[in-house]
Amino acid sequence: MAKVTLIEAVTMALAHEMERDESVIVLGEDVGVNGGVFRATAGLQQRFGPDRVMDTPLAEAMIAGASIGMAAQGMKPVCEMQFMGFIYPAVDQMINHAGRMRHRTRGRLHCPMVLRAPFGGGIHAPEHHSESTEALFAHMPGIRVVIPSSPQRAYGLLLASIRDPDPVVFLEPKRIYRLQKQEVQDDGKAMPLDVCYTLREGDDVTLVTWGAMTFETLKAATAMAEEGISCEVIDLATISPLDLDTILESVEKTGRLVIVHEAARNCGVGAEIAAGVAEKGLYDLEAPIQRVTGYDTVMPLFRMEYQYLPSVRRIVDAAKATLED
Amino acid sequence: MKTFNLPDLGEGLPEAEIVTWHVQEGDEVVLDQPMLSVETAKAVVEVPSPFSGRVAKLYAGEGDIVETGKPLIDIDTGSGGSAATAAPASADQSPAEASAADSGTVVGSMPVSDEELIETAVAGGKRRRTAGRVKAAPAVRALAKKRGIDLADVPPTGRGDRVTREDVENFRPRPAVRKRTPVQLPPGEPVRLRGPRRAMAQSMGLSRDEVCACTIFDDADIHGWMPGQDITTRLLRAIVAGCQAEPALNGFYDGAAMTRQLESRVDIAIAVDTPDGLIVPVIRRVEQKSAEELRDDLDSIKTKTRARTVAPEEMKDFTFTLSNFGMMAGRYATPVVVPPTIAILGAGGVRHDVVPVLGGIETHRRIPLSLSFDHRCATGGEACRFLAGVIGDLQRTS
Repeated sequence: MAKVTLIEAVTMALAHEMERDESVIVLGEDVGVNGGVFRATAGLQQRFGPDRVMDTPLAEAMIAGASIGMAAQGMKPVCEMQFMGFIYPAVDQMINHAGRMRHRTRGRLHCPMVLRAPFGGGIHAPEHHSESTEALFAHMPGIRVVIPSSPQRAYGLLLASIRDPDPVVFLEPKRIYRLQKQEVQDDGKAMPLDVCYTLREGDDVTLVTWGAMTFETLKAATAMAEEGISCEVIDLATISPLDLDTILESVEKTGRLVIVHEAARNCGVGAEIAAGVAEKGLYDLEAPIQRVTGYDTVMPLFRMEYQYLPSVRRIVDAAKATLED
Repeated sequence: MKTFNLPDLGEGLPEAEIVTWHVQEGDEVVLDQPMLSVETAKAVVEVPSPFSGRVAKLYAGEGDIVETGKPLIDIDTGSGGSAATAAPASADQSPAEASAADSGTVVGSMPVSDEELIETAVAGGKRRRTAGRVKAAPAVRALAKKRGIDLADVPPTGRGDRVTREDVENFRPRPAVRKRTPVQLPPGEPVRLRGPRRAMAQSMGLSRDEVCACTIFDDADIHGWMPGQDITTRLLRAIVAGCQAEPALNGFYDGAAMTRQLESRVDIAIAVDTPDGLIVPVIRRVEQKSAEELRDDLDSIKTKTRARTVAPEEMKDFTFTLSNFGMMAGRYATPVVVPPTIAILGAGGVRHDVVPVLGGIETHRRIPLSLSFDHRCATGGEACRFLAGVIGDLQRTS
């Protein structure tokens, strides 16, 4: 058992699965010799060789497309997009091919690939390095979107994603790559996909979030607890397909819902959750559903970055607004 | 004196070649003024001055190659003295220098900490818990709030135990109850009542607050019954006979308005015991039905109760109540009148009693009866006439 950061947990999971399953390969820009610009794949090429850990040209469409081809023929590629901001040339491959492989071949072929990408802002990076557009992939049928928020879940969910027979977009919240350490056992145990994780139980208001925002949301819950407000915090973990049942059950208990995501507000994943709860849990709601999100602008640079990202203050204000009714 | 090191100009490039200096030693520079052009593997980049001041020293000349992080220029900002250190003063430094471990080659500033994450995470799935909160549409909640009505007091009739708009509009708050200190439960895990239990608690509370109940006990001697008679069906028929003998117990009473409304139809609510609590499905127009039809209705109730498909409409709008409780134990009772109805008949366990007959002693099968009625609107005489009618019909052989 070791105390590892989220990025180290990713490396641990990759190494474990590559050891266990010969068909798992890693490819991407700078993943081999360099070990990845965030060191996610550090040591893997030295251990498993350049045939299994491949440095690719600077060509995202090719990285995704080659992965799809290899996956359809029985390999398990885990490809990396260096930043989510570079994923867009690969979207054609993912939507038009990866997500449709089963459908197109009537089940004869499937596409067990994982596409990893660091996502989200908060590290004072240049433009294109702070994207949070998980809603794009959540909208596409045939593609699973998974976002871990702790080292343990990064390990367990990545293993589950690699073992899943269909394409997974695995978005790693880079802001919390090294923010906290956690005891994670390298036992190869996958954690369940397609379910939410309740991080904190409470009775007064339900807070739903994912990625790096779980950090701020838990802080908001702690702050509110000191004022006597009991919050339930749920980590979505799998963005799509959405586990609405867990959220509905929580709303049945609390009657109040706040959704927190750093992605922009318009048509973000929060809207889907709000619609689902309005559809199936309307009679449990005591107040309108609140969304605390990034603004509908381009993600700003350095100086305005933390204005854009939902703060603990904004989350607390939204939760209190639901209680005012 | 500030020393400025060559910053990471993009994605971990290790070095850059100086193309042109735009300033010389001794020049005054202002913040952000272009200082020099460097060429990296990717492009020619302008580097702006991070300080205002006087250029004190250039560490390399045009054409020289400088490693990322090595000193480039000294600027005297006149801010007084500490000796120039190699510590990075610009915000453009890459974190690779900052922390001890090799944490990558990304431009930016990632927060790093050794703080340990202690968390509990429960995977979602099918956890079924009873929530016990009132269900109502937002518009209905708003209406109740406007009227100052607590939704928890309103008996729900909507699907899924929902309080509907109609429920709120028809709700008549019960008369003010005298203030009493609430009962304090000892520490434990109280579970809020919901569904039939909740409805029963509300209904019985309402009865206690409003009804002035009186109960008359008697027995029906059924030793003369032909074989094959069904007790519940006979009881239903007997109630109809009682209503015909004395109509004053079949109907409704409104204590607030002090109005009485007697009915000719006899719709009897049957108390049924279920694992979820007491429910009272209604058999309609008993006065018009044959014994077979009543038997069918009773069977249908039994099936629906087991399947939990008794709808709220099937439990509303009855004129009389029957509680046949004797199957397990109990002889007589003080059954509770369900407002707004006027009376309720309780039948205890059929038993063999020793009875005197013409100077001798026999054992006869008898049904113990307990008739509760609301004495605000029915007299003892009316109640006894009713009961006599019930007993008379029950004692018929078939």
